[in-house]
Amino acid sequence: MFRIIVDSLKAGIVTEKRPFDRRPPFGFPVIDFTRCTACEECARVCPTGAIYATAHAPDQRTLGLTYARCIQCQECVAGCPEHAVSAGNDIEVTAFTREQLERSALFDINPSTGRCTFRAMEPDARPTVDESAARLRERIQGQLGRSLHVRQVDAGSCNGCELEIAATTNPVFDLERFGVHFVASPRHADVLLVTGPVTRNMEIALRRTYDATPEPRVVVAVGACGCSGGLFGEGTYASIGGVDRVVPVDVYIPGCPPRPQAILNGLLVAMGVRAARAMPGPPHRATSTGDS
Amino acid sequence: MSAQTTAIAAALRLHESDCRELRSGEVVADVLLPDLNTTADAIVGELRGRLISLFATDERTQRDRFVVHHLWSLPGSKTFLRVTAPVDPHDLAFPSIAARHPAANWFEREVMDFFGLRPEGHPNPERVSLHDDWPEGVRPLRKDFDPKTVVPRVTGEFHPFRPVTGEGVFQVPVGPVHAGIIEPGHFRFGVAGEPVLYLQLRLFYVHKGTEKRFERLPWTHGVYLAQSISGDTSVGHALAYCHAIERLADIQVPDRAAALRVVLLELERLYNHIADIGALATDVAFTVAASRAQTQREGLLRLNEQLFGTRLLRQTIAIGGVRCDLASTGRDVLLAHLRRLEHDFDDLITLLIDSGSFTDRVDATGILTNQAARDLGIVGIAARASGIDEDMRRDHPHDGYGRLQFEVSVEEGGDVRARLMVRAREVEQLFKILAQVLDTLPQTQVLGRLPSQLPPSSSALGWVEAWRGPCVHWVATDESGHLSRVKITDPSFVNWPGLVHAVPGNIIPDFPVINKSFNLSYSGNDR
Repeated sequence: MFRIIVDSLKAGIVTEKRPFDRRPPFGFPVIDFTRCTACEECARVCPTGAIYATAHAPDQRTLGLTYARCIQCQECVAGCPEHAVSAGNDIEVTAFTREQLERSALFDINPSTGRCTFRAMEPDARPTVDESAARLRERIQGQLGRSLHVRQVDAGSCNGCELEIAATTNPVFDLERFGVHFVASPRHADVLLVTGPVTRNMEIALRRTYDATPEPRVVVAVGACGCSGGLFGEGTYASIGGVDRVVPVDVYIPGCPPRPQAILNGLLVAMGVRAARAMPGPPHRATSTGDS
Repeated sequence: MSAQTTAIAAALRLHESDCRELRSGEVVADVLLPDLNTTADAIVGELRGRLISLFATDERTQRDRFVVHHLWSLPGSKTFLRVTAPVDPHDLAFPSIAARHPAANWFEREVMDFFGLRPEGHPNPERVSLHDDWPEGVRPLRKDFDPKTVVPRVTGEFHPFRPVTGEGVFQVPVGPVHAGIIEPGHFRFGVAGEPVLYLQLRLFYVHKGTEKRFERLPWTHGVYLAQSISGDTSVGHALAYCHAIERLADIQVPDRAAALRVVLLELERLYNHIADIGALATDVAFTVAASRAQTQREGLLRLNEQLFGTRLLRQTIAIGGVRCDLASTGRDVLLAHLRRLEHDFDDLITLLIDSGSFTDRVDATGILTNQAARDLGIVGIAARASGIDEDMRRDHPHDGYGRLQFEVSVEEGGDVRARLMVRAREVEQLFKILAQVLDTLPQTQVLGRLPSQLPPSSSALGWVEAWRGPCVHWVATDESGHLSRVKITDPSFVNWPGLVHAVPGNIIPDFPVINKSFNLSYSGNDR
């Protein structure tokens, strides 16, 4: 017993003071659309369809990227011949709608060479992140203080998200210091933290869990699969897809799996304590992406 | 024909033309349905084989038949034997071997669910993977089943739980949504007060149609799906898939990549074993030990991130090699971290086994006997904790393991303590393995040359001894070289019935710690 106490004193405090300052070597990719030629190479190598190209007219093409589907595999970074996709290291991405996680640009196709040039960004999704944040604040106004009781529901995940959600409770991240606490029953919960893809066999259990949660019951979707169905797809015989296909979702935390600090950030966004950023910023330390 | 194949043909009383060596370590024997049982008996009796997978393929468009495949490991000769038998698509029946080889139980029922084939003579021919609300006649892995099919829900109970009768005897239902941060599944306990009389499982809540999904993916993208079969075994499953593709297309993996794959697989084993040991401490309310284990695990995940850019080692494995390299500075960081951890880990184990209140809870708790483990075909940690000396790293060496010196950790007790100690010993061995690999990292490229497409109408097996047990992938291509079938065997699918045998006789409050000592994946099982 004496040794346990001595060893524990020697170990000191392992909890990290500023968990949000960590920048991993790779987070979400960032496309510089002005350098992009919409050659679609990134869309071809993307395993989840997070990057897509569509043609509306013979002389126009759209290229877009949605972080809701991104599994951070970096194929697009390696595959872009124009070095227009850079390896971002931002991971604390959170949004209130799926659309807010999406950016797309319009390109003109040169009829003789077939080469595309950037024309303009397509308009941002409405409502904006700020508008949604205000709306969510209004909905939970006065009902949730600075503490949040969370019920986690695995509605079909590969368990990668569960590993990282569980990691937020370890002594290093220690999410309870932010007033966030995981509870055993939906009846005690303010928030449902749901991973996906929602399977056909979990749909009823998820609905019942949602029904058992008292208002204002905020739903947070976690992971590429929870946000969009990810690699497993939407509308297959076994996978219904994103959590929002089954219950209304208030906050989306993309990533495969999102790192613990991204999950923590998303929960604090749901509480209204931290501001949401739906688009990852450019790399914090300049990473070489070619000739610039 | 190799001497190996001749010996197998002789043992199975097969004509030599019905037995062929596909490639090194992979032999196929073609038999007819009536011979499946005698062949299985001969494989177990004469070749000491162990059933590691059983599955079907739908070949109606090419050859007007289904095929049932029995996959056996012959550890004595470092060979896998796949026995195939054609099934008449108008009759759909195939003889079950489950009565004499219980390891086939769930596999045959899964074939019944997904292909609509009928295992004749099966002792319990009930659904295992399709839930009660799936209508009759939905056969998701048949080729003519569109993956976008919307399957209606039907009412009715096809597979009721076993009833309990008697005074003071009742059922306790748990799940699918559990109280902790874990995956969903339903447990139904029959109890007399606290002691458990029996446990029944209902799993497949997270069935995502993964095997069907592979059939629509380009083979180069398959590795991303493979790493999401079970998130805690990203390296294991991605590697098993890559091995299968590499064997199929004869892709050469450079020596350095093979060595780094060992490093990655052992790092995955390390973080999972430490997490499990911490979770056992949590489940008996020993928080000091649990916190230390969690801190050690977090340190490892951060080390992974620092070295490879990924905490759970995702995106590290590639077909033909690895996607990351380890510079000499990274190697030094890794070695220094491991030296510190070796000391801390030793302290953690001492803390646990010196504590009477901990050992009281784990000794003689949740015993899986050697006989039950052999009959059920239990694999991995759970098998080694019940005295079965098997480890694919030694018995069917993959990647760089053939050149490494290490011992397979075996315990005889079959209880929670034994499963804990197998993990602890494996961590000790793993430090030795990593020291050997990092000492002699070959200086080559880390990615081999890939073909533009896979050979048509071929198949290959990939296997890995991952941290929980063997991950086995069998991959087949169609006439145009696209993936036509990927059969995934996760150790959890094999080991869940082991839990059912280990729990009765214990009290309900010990269930969490018994369950954790197996720590089976729901997603890997359900796919």
